[in-house]
Amino acid sequence: MDKKTVTTIAYLSRIALNEDNEDKITSDLENIIKFVDQLDSAEVDGIEPLTNPLEKKAHTREDIVTAKNRKDKFLERSPKSNEDYFLVPRVVE
Amino acid sequence: MSIRYKTIKDLSSMIQKRDISHLELVKETFSLIESSSDLNAFITLNKDPAIENAISLDNERNESVLSGIPIAQKDLFCTKDLRTTCGSNMLSNFIPPYSATVITNLERAGCISIGKTNMDEFAMGSSNETSFYGNVINPWGKNLVPGGSSGGSASAVSSGIVPAATGTDTGGSIRQPASLCGITGLKPTYGRISRWGMIAFASSLDQAGPMARTAEDCAILLNEMCSHDLKDTTSLNEPIPDFTEDLDKPIKGMKIGIVKEFDLSKLDSDVVQVFEDSKKHYESLGAEFVEISLPNISLSVPTYYVVAPAECSSNLSRFDGVKFGTRCDDPKNLEDLYIRTRSEGFGDEVKRRILIGSYVLSAGFYDAYYKKAQQVRRLIKNDFDGAFSKVDVIMSPTTRGTAFEAGSKGSDPIQMYLEDLFTIPANLAGLPALSLPNGFVNKKPIGLQLIGNFLEESKMLQFAHNFQKTSDFHLKTPHGEDIS
Repeated sequence: MDKKTVTTIAYLSRIALNEDNEDKITSDLENIIKFVDQLDSAEVDGIEPLTNPLEKKAHTREDIVTAKNRKDKFLERSPKSNEDYFLVPRVVE
Repeated sequence: MSIRYKTIKDLSSMIQKRDISHLELVKETFSLIESSSDLNAFITLNKDPAIENAISLDNERNESVLSGIPIAQKDLFCTKDLRTTCGSNMLSNFIPPYSATVITNLERAGCISIGKTNMDEFAMGSSNETSFYGNVINPWGKNLVPGGSSGGSASAVSSGIVPAATGTDTGGSIRQPASLCGITGLKPTYGRISRWGMIAFASSLDQAGPMARTAEDCAILLNEMCSHDLKDTTSLNEPIPDFTEDLDKPIKGMKIGIVKEFDLSKLDSDVVQVFEDSKKHYESLGAEFVEISLPNISLSVPTYYVVAPAECSSNLSRFDGVKFGTRCDDPKNLEDLYIRTRSEGFGDEVKRRILIGSYVLSAGFYDAYYKKAQQVRRLIKNDFDGAFSKVDVIMSPTTRGTAFEAGSKGSDPIQMYLEDLFTIPANLAGLPALSLPNGFVNKKPIGLQLIGNFLEESKMLQFAHNFQKTSDFHLKTPHGEDIS
């Protein structure tokens, strides 16, 4: 784990690091990764990964509309919107 | 008549006997909140709707045991038209348009939501020190943390302001603060309680549960909190028993597992003594002890710190400053909007976990970390499956020690992560587990953990209730009054 890796994963996560916290975060991440490296000691050949303790198939339902259109309720909670859309800075010049 | 430190059962009987009206109870609760504001247990209060609710219950009385019972809701549950921050600056202005299923279930049963409790930011922490809204004080000592992440809920119940609160538990966030604050807290089997409307941290581990003064009250709450919910794809479609039914059945001849691999020699000798005393107590009630082996349990914390951050980095990608929550000022372009919103909106611990998650999920590291952790997770679950063929419940201390001072864990995050050493395994395996008060070390409370087999909350509660019927640790209060 070096600064370059940390810069890459910070960008992937859309989080900016600054001079104040970059060194601390890099060393924290390094220590955490060293800590989880204990997993190397486990014998896992042929073991199926467990993604969810229930291991049940997701419930499916008929594709019918159940929700009411509550567009206004959701748009009014947006930091910026007009009557139809969430607004963000211009993407296409 | 004082309502402080009363249980749900006490308050319910006071209401039914008309010793107190619903309105008086709610008003008294708000005056307790006000006089205990130094605890910083609440982020947002629900005063006017709670009072209106109480008035209508006074006009239309019903016999439900939860009718009019004031309850504090962890600020992680969406509550319709009531601000829900999840302890974060990111959601400082978020007012949900709907309520979580579990909130609706409790309110339908008559509970009055009194306010939203403080918590570690996005439930990531074990001391409530990561909250954007400030530390919460443990009623047992003003420099002590209440534990976390459900620290505000634990503090509010422990100080006798409310008889009950909701919490959520991803790696110990109900049980660890319950232990540190001297109350009873239960994490049900994964899937028992709908996660719909719970702000997600790690979806395969998150589970809501009750926090109260007694196991009996936890059972009463659990009866209403559980439901099969089509809006949550991992909601269990299993019969929901009456969790109070078996409480009084004796535990004579039943078997308690003690985990060989939990090395207690590293704990403070007073902490070990409390645990040994509880073993003797259960022996006197006729329980038998069986040593069990969970060979992979020592890998629980490293497994958790791959799985939980991976799921967190994915879940928290929704906070982008576009659809709800806060947005940075004057974004230059869309990318600047995303990056600055997230950098300003999240605190350090949340950022750390997102970064770890992005790392373990990234190309080249996925197999070495994420896949491997999920394989070890299965080994841990298999260990439990084997153990439960021999025992009824598994017993351990809930925490390595009592409440610690704010700031005392230093700046090394791993020291804080190890707080959840005993609690994390149940989350990985999806098993129910609870913490009940079982003693004091230097006048500070500590808890005993019981882990149950899949869907066996009733048995766990039976063990806890049998203990509480014959002990008084849960009756002690931080203000020195014994409430027995």
